[in-house]
Amino acid sequence: MRLYLTIALTNVRNNYRFFIPRVLTEAGLLACFNILYTLFRDERMSELRGGSYLPVFMAIGVMVVAILSVILMLYTNSFLMKQRKREFGLYNVLGMEKRHIGKVLFFESAASSLAGIVLGLGLGVLFYKLASLFICRLLGVESVFGFYYISPSTLLPCAAGFLLIDLAAFLVNRLSIARMKPVELMASAHTGEKEPRVRRLMLVLGAVSLGLGYFIAVTTEDPLAAIYLFFIAVILVMIGTYFLFVTGTTFVLKLLKNRKKYYYSKKHMTAVAGLLYRMKQNAVGLASICILATGVLVMISTTVSLYAGAEDTLDETYPMELYVDAHYRTADGERVAMSCGDLTELVREAASRAGAEVEAAVPIRYLAVRLAIDDVLRTSGMEALNSGGTAYFSFMTASDYRAATGADLGLAADEAALCVIGMSVGEEYGGGTLSAAGRDYRIAADCASFPPTYGHYGVVLPDEEALNAVYRWQKETLGAEAAEITERIGVSFGDRDAMRTLGFDVEREITQLGFEWVSARESHSEDVSFGTYSESLWEAAAEIYGVYGSFLFLGILLGLVFLFGTALIIYYKQISEGYEDRGRYQIMEKIGMSQKEVKASVGQQVLLVFFLPLVTAGVHICFAFPILEKLLHVLLLSETKLFVVCTLITFVLFALVYAAIYSVTSRTYYKIVH
Amino acid sequence: MTILDVKDLKKTYTSRFGGNQVHALKGVTFSVEAGEYVAIMGESGSGKTTLLNILAALDKPTGGSVTLDGMNLAEVKDGALASFRRENLGFVFQEFNLLDTFSLKDNILLPLVLGGKSVSEMEERLGPAAQSLGIADVLNKYPYEVSGGQKQRAAAARAVITNPKLLLADEPTGSLDSQSSSELMRVFEKMNRGGQTILMVTHSTDAASHANRVLFIRDGVVFHQIYRGDCSNEQLYRKVSDALTMLRRGGEGQ
Repeated sequence: MRLYLTIALTNVRNNYRFFIPRVLTEAGLLACFNILYTLFRDERMSELRGGSYLPVFMAIGVMVVAILSVILMLYTNSFLMKQRKREFGLYNVLGMEKRHIGKVLFFESAASSLAGIVLGLGLGVLFYKLASLFICRLLGVESVFGFYYISPSTLLPCAAGFLLIDLAAFLVNRLSIARMKPVELMASAHTGEKEPRVRRLMLVLGAVSLGLGYFIAVTTEDPLAAIYLFFIAVILVMIGTYFLFVTGTTFVLKLLKNRKKYYYSKKHMTAVAGLLYRMKQNAVGLASICILATGVLVMISTTVSLYAGAEDTLDETYPMELYVDAHYRTADGERVAMSCGDLTELVREAASRAGAEVEAAVPIRYLAVRLAIDDVLRTSGMEALNSGGTAYFSFMTASDYRAATGADLGLAADEAALCVIGMSVGEEYGGGTLSAAGRDYRIAADCASFPPTYGHYGVVLPDEEALNAVYRWQKETLGAEAAEITERIGVSFGDRDAMRTLGFDVEREITQLGFEWVSARESHSEDVSFGTYSESLWEAAAEIYGVYGSFLFLGILLGLVFLFGTALIIYYKQISEGYEDRGRYQIMEKIGMSQKEVKASVGQQVLLVFFLPLVTAGVHICFAFPILEKLLHVLLLSETKLFVVCTLITFVLFALVYAAIYSVTSRTYYKIVH
Repeated sequence: MTILDVKDLKKTYTSRFGGNQVHALKGVTFSVEAGEYVAIMGESGSGKTTLLNILAALDKPTGGSVTLDGMNLAEVKDGALASFRRENLGFVFQEFNLLDTFSLKDNILLPLVLGGKSVSEMEERLGPAAQSLGIADVLNKYPYEVSGGQKQRAAAARAVITNPKLLLADEPTGSLDSQSSSELMRVFEKMNRGGQTILMVTHSTDAASHANRVLFIRDGVVFHQIYRGDCSNEQLYRKVSDALTMLRRGGEGQ
């Protein structure tokens, strides 16, 4: 037993080039998994304002990392085994039985597994604190806990999960040893590989697919169509990337090879021939790296942009801080809306009790009613959006609209304005026709924003008379489905930032005062009923930061894991290629290539293999930019500049990290080759 | 004219902690005239490979000197060694050492490419070399597609394409069957008749019997040498064979 342990430990030490990355991989993945899982379980986090979204997002993250962990760990393992097959074959030939080798393997796996898991859990616990602080920061709340979260309920499942993966890897290895034939393993005869051929059909398909994907991304104008077209474009670009990496690179290299003047020169010959073979083996891996990298870039740049644009979105949708309407039951049980005047008084009082001050309060009367979309909107450009469904339409007079938003639409008596609530769609509907209460209105303006009301479409009617006509019309035609006009007020409090926290108190006070008001007014002693519908800056802020903050955190963490995976694939590729190329470069040195020339040739190849995926990812991002911008538009982010800046910063950071990985792995590669 | 002059060449290997010293070469002296074809024989461990490595400038001697065409190898700067090797020496190895990523043609042209020759010059030189070595019709194939004999002939073409002053061959027939071996030996003879100086290290009596002169190395010194004189290959074969027997007996006698 002792002997096997000694052999195993010696092996681990001698094969450190393979084992260290394996341990680090396991530790890194486990740490990420642990952080996500703890965030998922930690109730202190989900109780934070906006934190209710955390468990959902973290659950997604946990699943993604789990799948990625299994893939990457098994990849690492298969790589490790491939490199060591000869070694095991030698043991076998030297008289070790397979079960003895199995024992050595067991101790090796146990040692590296233990190291990986302990390190991973340690890092997880250590960085959990940082992660939770970061999340608090993202959610815009103060962190209240100053201690670490160490609990067997989160540590044990993580450890068990990774132990399971390691066990699976060990069993796979044990099985492959049971099946190995030592003679085959020892045979070092290098069977040559055929020079790759250019598959023309694949080349054409790849180019067409990529071109089409780019074309869609660049030319799509309709933001709503962009949502599903985006996925089509993504799939096309992915196919194009794979096909072109596999066959396009070969095509270009062959072209270069056929240009004798270019090919038969000191600088190019070994590099071109080397690349031809390298591409054959690595094209799929490189294409995967490229797609992973593009994914990371899109994920991080969009989440960062959304997060960074949250304030603009809030300012746009909430020009005033609070929009509220209230209702109560009278003594005889009738449900009555509180009038704008009464409600304004109530809010003023509530605000002063909570320590805030109402700066302005305006009435916003609107009628929200469910109607068939096709009956109301008759514009040619709108088919894509609405095919025969119904939607809530929110009708409002131009004067109320001006009071709430400050915007004078200048509508004539036969004109109306339309807004698709919750999306900044832009000037899509101008010139169309809108039909309400048997009257046709020309859609004179698209309003970018609509005061928070209930509904999918906001309609601004020219005057009170028009609104009343709609009211009477729907009362007559819809019967029980008919709606009442909502008496809502918009309130602004001056200090918007302070209201982010103070607002919750104001709302509590409103409810409190509301009950007092109703009980004073109506003489029923018990069963007092008062309720409000409100939309407020503070609720929206908590919500938007909850969603975007969680999203951003997930984007960053998954981005890191993807990057980590990318680095790992690259590292192992470099090493395995290094061992393969060693023989070639030794020959070259023997027949008169200086070390400097060898180094230059190696450098050229490695550089190209390395940066091709990065450059391609950059090109993908550039082409994806127009359609991503439209998608973000739908999600209410209208600042193009912000998105450009976020994408650029993300790309530069990514490139820096990538370059760091490059310099480390190419040094290892050169050490092996040399 | 003397093309290679080896004087009192010594090579001592010291184990890492300075304990044991192994004297691989204890003072080898010989010279090779331009246009000569010399075979070096010796048993495993006699120092043949060490000698060849030093002649190829892949290793440095601990004592003595090697002069190639008037140039002392010790005086060539490290940075210039690769180009020195490329311009003055040609190599044929036992295990061919062809690059599997290149076709035979590209393998043969590689030294010229490294030397920065023009494409037209390369093609000018390639044609006759391939023709005389009988590999003209397989030039566009890859090493794994041709026989061992063809590989070794391609390697020989690569070795002579730069018109080296000296062709060094290390067990060139070691990986070949007897048919391919004798073909290769005929090729060497032909190259030698064309004026190519050849120095070949070999185990094979048959291979050695094609040379003009055979040197025997034992225990790090030149022990014996045989000149062809007017002998035919068969007669030389017998002489070499006798010498080897004597060499072994002498070994046992000590």
